[in-house]
Amino acid sequence: MIPFDFEYDRPGTVGEALTVFRQLDAEQKNPMFFGGGTEIISMARMGNVKTGAVVDLKAIPECRVFEYDKDRLLIGSALTLSDLVEAKRFPLLDHTAGRVADHTMQCKITFGGNLASTIIYRETVLPLLLADAVVTVATQGGLRDYKITQIFRERLQLPRGEFIVRASIEKRWLSAPYIHVKKTKNEKVDYPLLTVACLKADDKIRMAFSGLLPYPFRDLQWENLMNDKSLSFPERAEQISALAAPHLLNNLDGSAEFRKFVLNNTLIKVLQTLKGV
Amino acid sequence: MPKAGIGTTVIRKEAWDKVTGNAKYTADENPAGVLTARMVTSTFAHAKIKKIDYSQALLQKGVKAVITGEDYPVLSGGLVADRPPLANGKVRYYGEPVALVVADSEFDAANAVTFVKVEYEPLPVINSLSQALASGAPLVHEHQETYKHISKDLYPQPGTNICDIKKIRKGDVNQAFSNCDSIVEAHYSLPQSDHIAMETRAARARISPDGTVFVKSASQAPFGIKKELSSVFNLEQGKVVVEVPFVGGGFGGKAATQLELLAYMASKAVCGREVGIRNSREQDITSSPCKLGLDATLKLGATKDGMIKAAQMTYLVDAGAYADMGPRLSKAMAVDCTGPYNIENVSCDAVCVYTNHPYATSFRGFGHASYTFCVERTLDKLAKKLQMDPLELRKKNGLAPGNLTPTQVPLTASSLGSLGPCIEKLKPLINWEEGERIELGNHKIRAKGISCFWKTSDSSPDAVSGIILTFNNDGSLNVNCGCVECGPSMKTTVAQLLSEKLKMDISRVHVNMDVNTKCSPTHWKTVASMTTFMQGRAAMRAAEDVCRQLVSLAAVVLRCPPEDLEVGGERVYVRHEPSNFIHFKDLVHGYQYQNGNAVEGQIIGRGSFIMGDLNLLDKETGKGKAGPWWTVGAQGVEVEYDTEEYTYRLIKAATVIDAGKVLNPKMCEALVKGGMCMGLGLGTRENFSYSGKGEVLDTSLRTYKVMHFGETPQYLVDFVETPLENSPYGARGLAEHGIIGIPAALANALSVASGVELDELPLVPETIWRIKTGGRA
Repeated sequence: MIPFDFEYDRPGTVGEALTVFRQLDAEQKNPMFFGGGTEIISMARMGNVKTGAVVDLKAIPECRVFEYDKDRLLIGSALTLSDLVEAKRFPLLDHTAGRVADHTMQCKITFGGNLASTIIYRETVLPLLLADAVVTVATQGGLRDYKITQIFRERLQLPRGEFIVRASIEKRWLSAPYIHVKKTKNEKVDYPLLTVACLKADDKIRMAFSGLLPYPFRDLQWENLMNDKSLSFPERAEQISALAAPHLLNNLDGSAEFRKFVLNNTLIKVLQTLKGV
Repeated sequence: MPKAGIGTTVIRKEAWDKVTGNAKYTADENPAGVLTARMVTSTFAHAKIKKIDYSQALLQKGVKAVITGEDYPVLSGGLVADRPPLANGKVRYYGEPVALVVADSEFDAANAVTFVKVEYEPLPVINSLSQALASGAPLVHEHQETYKHISKDLYPQPGTNICDIKKIRKGDVNQAFSNCDSIVEAHYSLPQSDHIAMETRAARARISPDGTVFVKSASQAPFGIKKELSSVFNLEQGKVVVEVPFVGGGFGGKAATQLELLAYMASKAVCGREVGIRNSREQDITSSPCKLGLDATLKLGATKDGMIKAAQMTYLVDAGAYADMGPRLSKAMAVDCTGPYNIENVSCDAVCVYTNHPYATSFRGFGHASYTFCVERTLDKLAKKLQMDPLELRKKNGLAPGNLTPTQVPLTASSLGSLGPCIEKLKPLINWEEGERIELGNHKIRAKGISCFWKTSDSSPDAVSGIILTFNNDGSLNVNCGCVECGPSMKTTVAQLLSEKLKMDISRVHVNMDVNTKCSPTHWKTVASMTTFMQGRAAMRAAEDVCRQLVSLAAVVLRCPPEDLEVGGERVYVRHEPSNFIHFKDLVHGYQYQNGNAVEGQIIGRGSFIMGDLNLLDKETGKGKAGPWWTVGAQGVEVEYDTEEYTYRLIKAATVIDAGKVLNPKMCEALVKGGMCMGLGLGTRENFSYSGKGEVLDTSLRTYKVMHFGETPQYLVDFVETPLENSPYGARGLAEHGIIGIPAALANALSVASGVELDELPLVPETIWRIKTGGRA
């Protein structure tokens, strides 16, 4: 049970959503954008979130697109993770989304909601970081396109009252060789000890991680090491692990030391699977 | 011939209600006008309560009352009265209830609890067994000597954190060890964990103007609630009425009385209005009682031909902040401490210890899954040292009729059952002959581990059970029994036994699903895998009672001597002339003559049972009879292990159990499978983690993990049938047993696979990695 009352709005257009959010904010209702609701509901139940109003984005057609526009695939922010999994349009994203929570939750959690999550893993951003995604944001001045790296640093960095409408990916990335590995404490459905997503293009491996640090990231220095042909696979893995070691998460899912071990092992496997560079 | 009876699979009586979602559980119905109580719980594991300010909470919308421990300075507990229902003066574990807010709705109560301000003064925290037992350790309970002992055989040590010690001294251990060729010694550590029944605990209470207290609860022990409520609050037992509908899983966790006391206190605070209290999952995990933790040291000695001659054991039980069932659990470990093996020289100390962890209560297997882990891991080490086949070692040392148990009870074929045949049947199930460890290539290894188990119950000698039988006009039977339906299909088993005994169709045997302590005969508790035995014995007596009455009346009607009559198919008939009969329907509500005269009234059957010949254990040697009989079995687990990643997959889990008599084959199989699944949960993932301050960190199912359906291995179940002579049709209890040896078998398999000794749980890949590598990447 959620121990407080709140208003629920379900605008049908981007403009309405922006307006209603602004009004609610002015009324000091501390509004929140609402996707699948899994996070708001579970946290509100525990008293970790309190809001006077939610603005549900799922009825906005622009947030539900899932189509090609010339050479790009448009992915609406209000699509659920299971929408992504079932469509099989961007295999790396399908795989990533298919390993967030369990199936019941995947039918609720939205793509945008996962990107904007307060839980530190936000795994669906990994393919976006690798494929130079462009993210379309609803701002008070209209729709604006950003490179993913402009608005996602550790977490989504949007001014209050703005929301993601969709992401778009260049088609050439959709069929690039990829690998997705998620390692957990001991079972399939769990937070990651580490999740690594990789795309290979122009004989280079791009890789992004979740679960290692308190946020998802892509690190170019690590990538350079990963692609350094002067080093053997184990040497590359070892050097990256050594760089990571001082910063690794230490929590109930696993210690920093074990994460280092898993990282090292996983990197070697990634290199072997993608046949290196 | 009747349909059903025993030995054939019967669909449980409440199946349709359950599969359609129509079955009602305690918190499913919320009649208008019922108030809601919510707990304010401690944020410290050990602290003085300096002040509770609830003035602001009282001003919140819908709030009817706020109560604290000061309002009810009483102590509760099944064995020792050491636990205030609401903490009074100090808190002893993280999550302990400190105040109760009673409000119009759950919504109002949830809001108001945030306005209760509790000021604490932290005290040093006892966060482990070693801290608890260190000399000069801070005390969880400063004045144990003042506590009232409900159980007569407790030996607390006031001034320490020890709330009970049970000793087993059998033979001469020192002498025996000196004659051994091989000795192994090891230390084990198992964490506390939780029951995670699907239905969280819930209770409601109201007090009628004449003072009668009505309680509805999700409980395995309605009669225990009646007893405890009346003793804690000085109520007349006849004025406490407890009702229990279906229970959504108990696993021992619902045998303790907790929320019922709070519901009563809440109702009393609002002039007897009905108040409901329901645990959130988080409260169910931390505030309500959990499964014990265990530290153990075992030493086994054997001659070179593999005969185990001596065993020395120390079991330290982390009972948490309050005793609850803790001392009984450590006693259960002591009683069966050797596992099902004949060891003539045994020294065992089972110590029940207070800590600042959540308090422990009974949990499926009643301590047996914990100590069995230690025994069976040590046996594998001994087998390795002796270079013997681990199954052979177990078979060779298995208890047999004529042997004495650790508490020196002489065993018979009936009381023990047959371990050897269980081991023999297990072999092909897990393909033992192919070897324990098989390299599959690609850094994968398939490995097997095994474990045996035995278990008796540690019931009170005065534990009683009863059955009342009545009939409908049409000759069908009504059964009124006091056991609770918490999952293992108890009610159906009672119907099955009666259907067999009275030779009538099971669909004509109607059993009460709900229990009401005012109308149902007392049944001790639905625990300890004793229900089939206890209710079964009562049912047999009740059936004989109605048969006697039916035959005596029929003898008059049929004009023949009663000894010529038989009962079957809802008729009483002449044995040598079956065409001469009379239907039940013409007898059960009295017999009416042609002229209208009627004789005899309705036929009412009664049957009762008392555990009886058990006794208290000797304080110094442990000699005595704690339980009526044993159930034995052998189990195996097969895993596929990755030597590079330290990860593994569960392939198979198998159990062969001596059921005495398999009453309901599919149900027995399902119970054993469910037990194995829970055992794998303990083995692979379940535990409480604590912060340095003793706060439980796994307070929700986000981080506290249980087995998912998709992760279950292939389950294999088979049975041996050595009749238990004093049980209906020879049946033994088996509801708990699937769990007992599985954590040990898993650890044995993974130890074989990884090549290191894995002596702790749960076995997540990181644990194996840490033990294997020393924890440096």
